[in-house]
Amino acid sequence: MNGLGGIMSGQPQARARFLRRNGHVIMVYAFILLLVAIGATQSERFLTERNLANVARQSAFLGIVALGQMLVILTAGIDLSVGSLVKVSILVSAIVMNGESANVVPAILATLALGALVGLIHGFLINELRIAPFIVTLASLVILKGIGLTISSSPVGKASREVMMFYVQTVGPLPVIALMFFALALLTMLLLRYTVFGKHLVAVGGSVEVARLSGVPIKRTRYGVYVICSLTAALTGLLWLSRMGVGDPAIGDGIELQAITAVIIGGTSLFGGRASVLGTLGGVLLLGITANLLVMLGVSQFIQGLIQGLIIVAAVALYKQEGD
Amino acid sequence: MSEPILEMRGISKSFAGVRALRDVSFRCQAGLVYGLVGENGAGKSTLMKILAGAYKADAGAIIYKGRPRHAASTGEIIASGISIIYQELALVPQMSAAENIFLGREPRNAIGILDLGQLHARSQELLSRLGVALDTRLPVGELTIAQQQLVEIAKALSQDADLIVMDEPSAILAGSELDQLFDIIAALKAQGVTIVYISHRLEEVFRIADEVTVLKDGEVVDSRPIGQLDRHTLVRSMVGRSLDEVFPQTDHEQGDLVLAAEDIATDTILDGVSLRLHAGEILGIAGMVGSGRTELARALFGADPLTRGEVRLAGKSLQWQTPSQAIRAGVALVPEDRKSQGLFTALSVRNNITISILSRISRLGILRRGQEDKVVSAARQRLSIVMTSPEQETQTLSGGNQQKVVLAKWLETAPAVIILDEPTRGVDVGAKFEIYKLMRQLNDRGLAIIMISSELPEIIGMSDRILVMNGGRVAGELAGEAVDEERIIKLATLGGAEAQSA
Repeated sequence: MNGLGGIMSGQPQARARFLRRNGHVIMVYAFILLLVAIGATQSERFLTERNLANVARQSAFLGIVALGQMLVILTAGIDLSVGSLVKVSILVSAIVMNGESANVVPAILATLALGALVGLIHGFLINELRIAPFIVTLASLVILKGIGLTISSSPVGKASREVMMFYVQTVGPLPVIALMFFALALLTMLLLRYTVFGKHLVAVGGSVEVARLSGVPIKRTRYGVYVICSLTAALTGLLWLSRMGVGDPAIGDGIELQAITAVIIGGTSLFGGRASVLGTLGGVLLLGITANLLVMLGVSQFIQGLIQGLIIVAAVALYKQEGD
Repeated sequence: MSEPILEMRGISKSFAGVRALRDVSFRCQAGLVYGLVGENGAGKSTLMKILAGAYKADAGAIIYKGRPRHAASTGEIIASGISIIYQELALVPQMSAAENIFLGREPRNAIGILDLGQLHARSQELLSRLGVALDTRLPVGELTIAQQQLVEIAKALSQDADLIVMDEPSAILAGSELDQLFDIIAALKAQGVTIVYISHRLEEVFRIADEVTVLKDGEVVDSRPIGQLDRHTLVRSMVGRSLDEVFPQTDHEQGDLVLAAEDIATDTILDGVSLRLHAGEILGIAGMVGSGRTELARALFGADPLTRGEVRLAGKSLQWQTPSQAIRAGVALVPEDRKSQGLFTALSVRNNITISILSRISRLGILRRGQEDKVVSAARQRLSIVMTSPEQETQTLSGGNQQKVVLAKWLETAPAVIILDEPTRGVDVGAKFEIYKLMRQLNDRGLAIIMISSELPEIIGMSDRILVMNGGRVAGELAGEAVDEERIIKLATLGGAEAQSA
């Protein structure tokens, strides 16, 4: 019988199960190690503190958005609008701040409020008008991009001095921005593991019908997750301001696809119900290190895109083999 | 008589003009077991969904614990002590047993954070009340169906349910698992919990119910204490046909040997099975869930490669590696789980029936619609599939009609051997009868049938010979006079050698 006996019996099975569930994440990290090894042997500059700090900083930008995206994908949704929202966020924050220290707090609050508003609108359209998340956020991708380019097609506004300094600040060897990302990743892990909201995200993504019959507040869960996702985009817009110093309307394009890529490489199911923070972290680092390494090795930008595409296909193909 | 815990009065409900329930009344006393029977589409599930708050009744009243209940949310209804265990288990496969049990009512600590210690401790306690030990941290998707059902019952208990509705719980259980369920029901009853037990299987209703209500075409046709009923009257009130007519017999000649398997084994539990199948014969395969019945079917169909042994079709040795080779050779498998393996539920009846024979009804890759129409309408007539049009999505058909569509699809491939895995699961009594009749018609046309079933009356009533499986092997073969329920159960539970010494 494949009944109780199978579950109760010993260690080797538990180990096999651990590997089956986490094999994918282990593979992503093994691949990262491989890339680091290649980088260390092929380029003198790769393993320098300066370059690694750079990789960490750049990964943080993608990583924060990827965390929000992962939570949305966990509920079997998707948010295509984050790139455009990053764009609008950097513009709004730069304009409100206008280089004045006194305006920093209002600028941050205004940007986050904008993020929350966009998330609420997504939640409303998905919950109340029952439009598919793909459609809702595709529309808002286009709309927000249009708004951004209407605000300005050339750099506007200015970051204050402190905000610009924030980008280069470090704690020991680690950039503060990277620490912030790791902290958020840890927070997300705790959210999924220890909070009711986290469990409801899994339930909604695993089976909406079951969630409904169990009395899970589905609408509230969806509102929550889209607001969180938009907030990560708004926050990323602020971080971009700190890096650029001005409201550059060229920022943001394509971030949504990068984030989705990182999430998928990390083993999160596009159909919902299963997510891995460690996996997403790995996916983000993998993309970040690949991009950095390709630049170090002097590979053309267009080839970089090709290689990224191959990584996606390879990751998902490996993942499929595991599933069988 | 004491106050009823639940009274549903004059409930009516229509869907898009089609009447599902008309003036149905149903009452329950606390601490009794109520059997709710009727064919599929009779309205049992609709009635229970109204009770659960998933549907809203068009007319009628629900009085629960002495108070009229008005529109309420699923969460409020659960909190009021009503729990429904649905036929398609309502669990999130990716979440652990404990998380599923407390989904929507998670224990939290003082600052609102999930209390994992409590979550697992309380789940363990609930499961041990049911006499089961399982790891509450495992995702339920990794548990067996029987274990999942126990998790569902634990979930109901965790809600302090006073009234538990079980919708066809036995459809997915076999043998000892069912006994365990009945023990649990008896224990719940002793604790004063009211149980509404929905089932197609009358023997179960007779085993556990105190009172039986029969629904037919959305109306209550009979409702009385179990002592005043017998099987014959119950079947008659459900379908208007008596029991003797359910299993049609025909005098067909047994034909040539069609399929032979010699000591076959696969990478599964299947471990050395031999069988012979003749044209025009029904070979029944009995055994518990997990005995290797389904694995045998998959091996014969090429879904699992053989690690040992040989399969011969019409004398020719076959080493097929994939189902498509088996299909071309003339073997068809109608799988147990038609929703995930047999049907494209979102596609139309037309698309489902012709999906395997598209090349036959097309020219240069272009479908010939006229031919397709012919195939579909012939199948519709021959199998008497009830549908509004060939364009109807199969997910909106009843279980019996879905099964007929799956059968129709396979019959179009003109197989010599057809393997039916639980052909009447989730199918109502009336449609069962039609499927049995159809099986006999196919026999008469020379088709050889292997039928796997957990329902003993069905196996005994339909099979010319019966193989009983146990632990991946054939525990015994029974035919003619030797066939009786007790012998089958002994072989299935004890295995061949022990059953003989027992």
